[in-house]
Amino acid sequence: MKILVPCKRVPDPDQKLRLNADATDIDGSAVTYILNPFDAIAVEEALRIRETAHPEAEIIAVSIAPAEGETDLRTALAMGADRALLIEHEGQIDPWNVARILAAVIHQEKPALILMGKQAVDDDANQVGQFLAAQLGWPQATFVSKIEFTTDGLRIHRETDIGIEIIHVTLPAVVTADLRLNEPRYASLPSILKAKKKPTEHSTPAKLGIKPEPRIRLLGMELIDSQRTCEKVTTATDLLDRLRESEVIE
Amino acid sequence: MLSVQQAGKGCGEVLASAHWVKHLADMSKNTSDVIIIGGGVAGLSTAMQLAMRGTSVTVLEREQIGNGSTGRAAGLLGQLRGTTEHTRMLMDGVEIVKELEAKAGVEIYVQTGSVRVAETPDRAQEITDLVEMGHSINFDIDHIAIDELTERMPYMHTDDLTDACWCPTDGHLQPAELAAAYHKVGRDHHVRYENSCPVTGVILDGNKAVGVQTPRGEFHAPVIVNAAGPWSHLVASLTDTTLPAAALGHVYLTTQPHPDHPVDRLSPGFRNRHHRIYGRPENGGLLVGMYGEDCPVHDMSILPADFDMSAMKVRRDDINLALLIHAAQQRFPWLNERTPMHITTGIMTFTPDGLPFCGQLPDHEGLYYCTGFSGHGIVQSPAIGLIMSELILDGKSTYDIDSIEADRYWDIPGFLDREEIQQRCYTMQGSYYGRIEGKTANVKQKDT
Repeated sequence: MKILVPCKRVPDPDQKLRLNADATDIDGSAVTYILNPFDAIAVEEALRIRETAHPEAEIIAVSIAPAEGETDLRTALAMGADRALLIEHEGQIDPWNVARILAAVIHQEKPALILMGKQAVDDDANQVGQFLAAQLGWPQATFVSKIEFTTDGLRIHRETDIGIEIIHVTLPAVVTADLRLNEPRYASLPSILKAKKKPTEHSTPAKLGIKPEPRIRLLGMELIDSQRTCEKVTTATDLLDRLRESEVIE
Repeated sequence: MLSVQQAGKGCGEVLASAHWVKHLADMSKNTSDVIIIGGGVAGLSTAMQLAMRGTSVTVLEREQIGNGSTGRAAGLLGQLRGTTEHTRMLMDGVEIVKELEAKAGVEIYVQTGSVRVAETPDRAQEITDLVEMGHSINFDIDHIAIDELTERMPYMHTDDLTDACWCPTDGHLQPAELAAAYHKVGRDHHVRYENSCPVTGVILDGNKAVGVQTPRGEFHAPVIVNAAGPWSHLVASLTDTTLPAAALGHVYLTTQPHPDHPVDRLSPGFRNRHHRIYGRPENGGLLVGMYGEDCPVHDMSILPADFDMSAMKVRRDDINLALLIHAAQQRFPWLNERTPMHITTGIMTFTPDGLPFCGQLPDHEGLYYCTGFSGHGIVQSPAIGLIMSELILDGKSTYDIDSIEADRYWDIPGFLDREEIQQRCYTMQGSYYGRIEGKTANVKQKDT
C-alpha cells in the first residue's frame, strides 16, 4: 500500500511577519519556514499506519514549493517517510490548482491513501483536501481525529462542532488530519542519518502536464497590528497595582 | 528613646519625599543615575540592588522584560563551582533569593538537592575530587550509594553507574518568578522600566558615557550598564568596543508527565557529564538539556529588530535536538523521539572561559558590562546584582572578582576579531561538559 502525504512549507506562525513592498505577499526574505503543523500530524499518522496495520506501506511526501522547499520536505524524510517528491513552483498558487497538481501526481503514483493536514496555517484555506477528493472522485474524510483500518476501508472519527462523527470510507480515499489525531514525533538521530540517503525526486507542474489556471486572484494583504504586551504577574495584589499604574482602574 | 525614633522617622519621611520629587523631575527629563541596557535577570538584579541603595535607575529593554535568555532558562543551581569564591557567590545568592521570596511573596528557589553521576573512571574521580573540595569549604556534599540514588530517582537508569554525589542544598531557581520578583522589588524602589525600547547609540562626552539613544529619544545618566546578553557585543560595538562574547544556541526538552515514570516535583536536579546532560523535575515531567560538542552560532546583527526569542523553534529534524534526545535516552530509556514533550530553544551568551564580564573596560568611563553568563545567568544573577551595585557605587566589590572582571581579555591578541572570538566561545561551549574537571584534570595538564 502506498500512502501519499502532501506537505506544505509555511512561514513559522509564531514569528513576526512583514509584507513585501507592494503588500501583495509576505516578505519571504525574513521568514523562517516550517513544515505545516497539520501536515506533520499527517506524516506521523502515515508512520503509525506503517508501524501497525500495514508494515509494507510506502510513504511518499510531496510538496509544491520553490527549490529551497526541499529542506522542509527533508523533515518528513527524517521523520521516516520513504521518499519525497518536490514539484518546483515559484510564487502563489490557489487551492484548486494545488489539487490539480496533486491529482496529476496521484495518477502517476496510484496511492491507496492520501493523508494531509486539514489546512495550512498560513492561509487557513481548508480547501485542497476537499477539491482533491472531488477531482479524483474519491471519498473524503476531513477533520479526522482517529483512523482504524477495517476489512474494506477506514473507520474514522471526525471532529465536528456538535461532537465526534464516526464514518466509514472505502479506499482509495482522501483523509485530512485534525489537531488531535496524534502528536508528531521528532526525528531520531538514526532516522536523520538514514534520511540523508533517501531520494528526493524533482518535477514541475509542466512536466506533470498541468498549467495552473488561477480561480482566485490575491489583491493585497494587510497585517493586523497586534501589539503583544504580556507580562506575568505573580499575585492578585500585583495585578491590581499594575492596573492602577496603567490607569485602567483607580 | 521614643522621641529619637519619631525624629528619625520624620526625618526619613522628609528625605524620602525630597528624593521622590527629584525622582519625578528626573523622570520627565529621561535622566537618572544609572541606565541599564537589558531587562533580563542580570540587568533586573543590578537595577534592584542599586535602587535599594537609593540610586535612580532606568532599565531599557528592547522587547519585553524577561523575554530573552531569561525566559528560556532552566535555572539549575549547582553551588559547588570550580573555585571557592564562585561557590560563595552562589551560596550567598541563595540567601538573597530567600529574602526576595519574602519580599515578593513568591516561590523562586526549589530546593530539590542535586546529584552528579559517573559511569567512567574519569568521571568518578571528578566526583571524588568535588566531594573533597566541598568538604574543604564545609559545603554539604557527599557520595551517595547507587541503591539510594535509584530510590530517589526511580525513573533513571542507574545500572551502569559507578559513583554519584549528593548536594542536599542545591536545586533550581524558577526564572520567571525570579525576574518578576526583581521587577517588583525594583518597582517598589522606583526603578523605571521601559519595554520595546532598543538602544541604538551611546552618547559620549570625550571618553565618558553620558547617555543612550533610542527610538523613544535620548536617556541620560553618568553610568550605563550593558546587560544586553546575546546582544551585548553589538551594544559594545556602538562605542567601537570589542567584547569577546558570542551568541550560542541551546536546546532542552521537557516531557509531559509519564504515567509509568512520574517525576516528583522535589526530585533531585542531576548532571551526567559523560552524556553531557543536565536536568530537573518540571510539572510532573522531566526537563533535560545538553551542552553538546556542537551548537548553533547566532549572528545577532542579522536578526530582525523585533526578533522575539520566546517564539524561537527547533525543527523536528534538528540534529542537536536529535543528539539531546539520544543522550537523554541513555540515562532515561523510557524517553525517545516519540515521547510527548515540549522543546525549548534560545540563545545564550558565552565567553571564552565560560565566566561572565562584570565591570568597566579601559576605553570608556562610566560604561559597565554585566553579561556573558554562559548558561548560568539565572543562578549567578542574585550575587552579580550585588557585585555590580558595589562596583558602581563603591568602586570595588566585597567579593574577589578577578576571574569575572570585564577587562581580563582587554587588548589581548586572539580576542579582538569577531570570528576568532566566536570560535573560542564555541570551543568553550563544546568543552563545558566534555572536559574532565578537578584535580585529575590539573594533574593531566601538568603531565602534558
